[in-house]
Amino acid sequence: MFRINLNKIILLFSLTVHSVFAGSDIVKQIRDEKGSPIPHATVQAKGSPAIVVDKDGKIQTELAESESILIFALGYEPLQISWEDWIAQDIFVLKEKAGSLQEVVVAATRTDRTVEDLPLPVNVLNEKSIQETGGIRLSEILREQTGLQISGDHGTGLQMQGLDSDYILILLDGEPLIGRTAGTFDLDRISVSNIERIEILRGPSSAIYGSEAMAGVVNIITKSTEEETRLDLGLRHRSFNSWNPYADLGFSKGKWSTKLFYDYMSTEGYDLTPELIGQTQNPYQAQTIQLKINGKLHPNWDVGLFGRGYLENSTGELETSGTSGSELLNLDNSRRDFNFNPTLRFTPNSKILMTLRGMSSWFSTVADTRFNSDGGIFDFQDFNQFYHRTELQTDFQIKENQLLTLGIGHLIETVEATRYEGTNRFDAGYLFLQHQWDPGKKTNIISGLRADFHSQYGNRLSPKISGQYRLTENFSWQASVGAGFKAPDFRQLLLNFNNAAAGYYVFGSTLAQEGIEKLQNEGLIARILLDPANLGDLKAESSWALNTGFRWKVNPKFLWVGNAYRNHINDLIETAPIAQLVTGQNAFSYFNISQVITQGIETDLSYQATGNLQLSVGYAFLDTQDAEVLDRIDAGELFKRDAQNRTRRVVRSDYGGLFNRSQHSGNIKINYQDQWTGIDFALRAIYRGKFGFADLNGNLILDDESEYAPGWVSVNLTASKTLKNGIFLEVGATNLFNVQTTFEPTNPGRVLFAGLKIPFANLIQTK
Amino acid sequence: MKTTFKFSLIALLATSAFACTEDTPEPVVPLEAILVEDLAAPNDVIDRTTGQVTEVKPFQFFSLEENALVAENEDWDLAFKGTTIRVNASKNVTAAVVTGIFNEIAEVPASASFATDSGESFAIPTGSGNGWYNYNSATFTVTPIPGRVILVKTTDGNYSKIEILSYYKGNPPAAELNPMTTPSAHYTFRYILQPNGTTTF
Repeated sequence: MFRINLNKIILLFSLTVHSVFAGSDIVKQIRDEKGSPIPHATVQAKGSPAIVVDKDGKIQTELAESESILIFALGYEPLQISWEDWIAQDIFVLKEKAGSLQEVVVAATRTDRTVEDLPLPVNVLNEKSIQETGGIRLSEILREQTGLQISGDHGTGLQMQGLDSDYILILLDGEPLIGRTAGTFDLDRISVSNIERIEILRGPSSAIYGSEAMAGVVNIITKSTEEETRLDLGLRHRSFNSWNPYADLGFSKGKWSTKLFYDYMSTEGYDLTPELIGQTQNPYQAQTIQLKINGKLHPNWDVGLFGRGYLENSTGELETSGTSGSELLNLDNSRRDFNFNPTLRFTPNSKILMTLRGMSSWFSTVADTRFNSDGGIFDFQDFNQFYHRTELQTDFQIKENQLLTLGIGHLIETVEATRYEGTNRFDAGYLFLQHQWDPGKKTNIISGLRADFHSQYGNRLSPKISGQYRLTENFSWQASVGAGFKAPDFRQLLLNFNNAAAGYYVFGSTLAQEGIEKLQNEGLIARILLDPANLGDLKAESSWALNTGFRWKVNPKFLWVGNAYRNHINDLIETAPIAQLVTGQNAFSYFNISQVITQGIETDLSYQATGNLQLSVGYAFLDTQDAEVLDRIDAGELFKRDAQNRTRRVVRSDYGGLFNRSQHSGNIKINYQDQWTGIDFALRAIYRGKFGFADLNGNLILDDESEYAPGWVSVNLTASKTLKNGIFLEVGATNLFNVQTTFEPTNPGRVLFAGLKIPFANLIQTK
Repeated sequence: MKTTFKFSLIALLATSAFACTEDTPEPVVPLEAILVEDLAAPNDVIDRTTGQVTEVKPFQFFSLEENALVAENEDWDLAFKGTTIRVNASKNVTAAVVTGIFNEIAEVPASASFATDSGESFAIPTGSGNGWYNYNSATFTVTPIPGRVILVKTTDGNYSKIEILSYYKGNPPAAELNPMTTPSAHYTFRYILQPNGTTTF
């Protein structure tokens, strides 16, 4: 078993580069229980380096004679056999592991560790589980996972452990993705056609990632080239006249590998409220292009280059009521996103790994709204953000059971936008330290500490400690305590916004004093509610969280995992009025006001019934509360009105917690491979329980039955087949029973889809 | 606008207890709550692109004493336009916004700070969350804040308590309200006027 993993990184990396194609008569193949080859399994003769099999699961190299042979592949039970058996047989079958405890996770420690070695709630979605959802965009994959919700608010955002998109860090190949609108990272910006796996880490991870990683981290790992050449062309079509052609090109030679990916997406969008002008999702066209180059400069030096561009245009209509009745508006919006990440990796010896990463990101949006009648400008907004980070990470293997990681980095962030004055810049530096330690065979402990030094909101220390204890071979218990934080964003610090139509102002906290003075000089202030001079600086939002869970291999076919968590969030930033204007409207700014608690339980059961039938059940319970609201309820300061207009005090049992949180959610998944036709069926039922959508009775809290949107079940079915020549076909439907709700704009109702992927390189080679 | 007498209120225990100690007990007259429905007070028309007012609408002047709309030069207590409620400063009308349950407010609390309108501020503060209503920018709905009661000292010097029930025509239940289609700036409120000049209701 792999333990602390610095060795493994080096091992895997060197294996990838030295794919073996030595000529030999001996051909042996590694297969799964269904008879399909397992590509990239490793075969290791005791005392010799491991060898990777080719994409057909074949190994043609003669092994050095030894007492035993270990055959290993991620996701499968390792197989140890004698030298005699290795000689005697040609085909070796590995049994699939129930669940995915053997998957490698980078996000949790920034080093490679398997799920079962991590004392943290983490799960990995591999290519197969991504494929079987039939999804095109990232949101479609994540919405089927236990405890994750998708919600539409300025884009398709993720919710994890009851916290919104603002508090979830999204990484692409380990580097943060930027570009949020009102805090939401739009998951629809990410195409999944070239994703190899997705790592989902729950609980605060600010101890290694700093700001934003308060609820958790989603790390998207894109494919790397392992074959000599690869040319996959794919086309997917789905409802709403959506088309998604893509090309995936890769080749590797000697010490270098290159991968180029292009994805085009076009859709007419959908409308959940046809009686109103304007669609729920506007038509858009999006393009993603990605280039990944990896190579070895020297036996000790590896280099990587990653570039990605994203371009999206959308158009739509909107109605506004102006002076002369209502007027039609045309929307023309675009988003661009560009990332460039060079990486240099140095391994002076087997105990040290140094990684120097640079990361630059540009994100921009333009929203151009014009009158349909004369083309005159109604509103024009642009937003340009730049983010740069340089980081040096050193992993040092102190002993066989101890790995120390030290990181140091700095970052620059600038923003220039219609709603901000001038160009604004943040500077920050940080240090992080992490110690992974296996004190005994049954125990492993990870402790970490990160210090952030920021030009705007000051300094922060984020510690975290997590531990795992294996009670038996099959049952392990995990617990972690950690701090999380989220820095105030540009909007909260620097916004300078005047809503002319409604007549109110919003100032970022650093501009509040200046803004109010200006309004005062213009004679627009009726009275000051809070003197901006006494407000002090906006602090980072911070949290403490406890996570504890278990992994239980009840028997080789039956895996049960669970995790309970509690997040205490302090200094949550919200807007509140600071001055009343003579017009009766308010000027707002941002404050550290609220305290919020989110807690819950998430559990998944998976059962490998037979070689070709797998069942799983997931359930999540979530409870959220705003401490300030509870105080006001206890003080008898909150009231509600019933349908007969009688006013009464709100009691604790009326209170439903935060809006847009489902107390109950879950899923049932059935995977079946038909042996006669070879067709894979994946049937999933995804349940989202009722959730509060808005305050209706005027007290601004969720406390009335009418304020809940009903729950729903989305039944999704995918049928797919990989032909002998590698051609992949899929057909299916999501939300088969067309359950629509206007309360969740990201749910379009039934979507039918069909897709095709042709591995050209494969076809040519086999001929 | 129509006015009905729907609500009745039993005289308060405090009052009756006090009355009982008198040698000649006064007959206790329960005060009636008056319901005013759909008082239409449309707001100025604003050009949303510029924020400029393009059409000025008049205030609607209401007398609590008479339970009727009156002219501006008459003895009005409150004037309504959009979400703004003015008090008659020239006739020394004052108001205070307190928190509590309408039926439970038996007396003008000592803590209530009565004020009148000035050039710079309103006795009944405007703006979401400040005075009598909350505006939900997600649903575009103006909702009276439950538990907010407006106390007014009228032109005649009498105290009254007011609870605003709805800002939309027909006083629709919250769940049935569609701010896009239901006409707004139609006030439904109930009030009790204590005509004897005392601070109890």
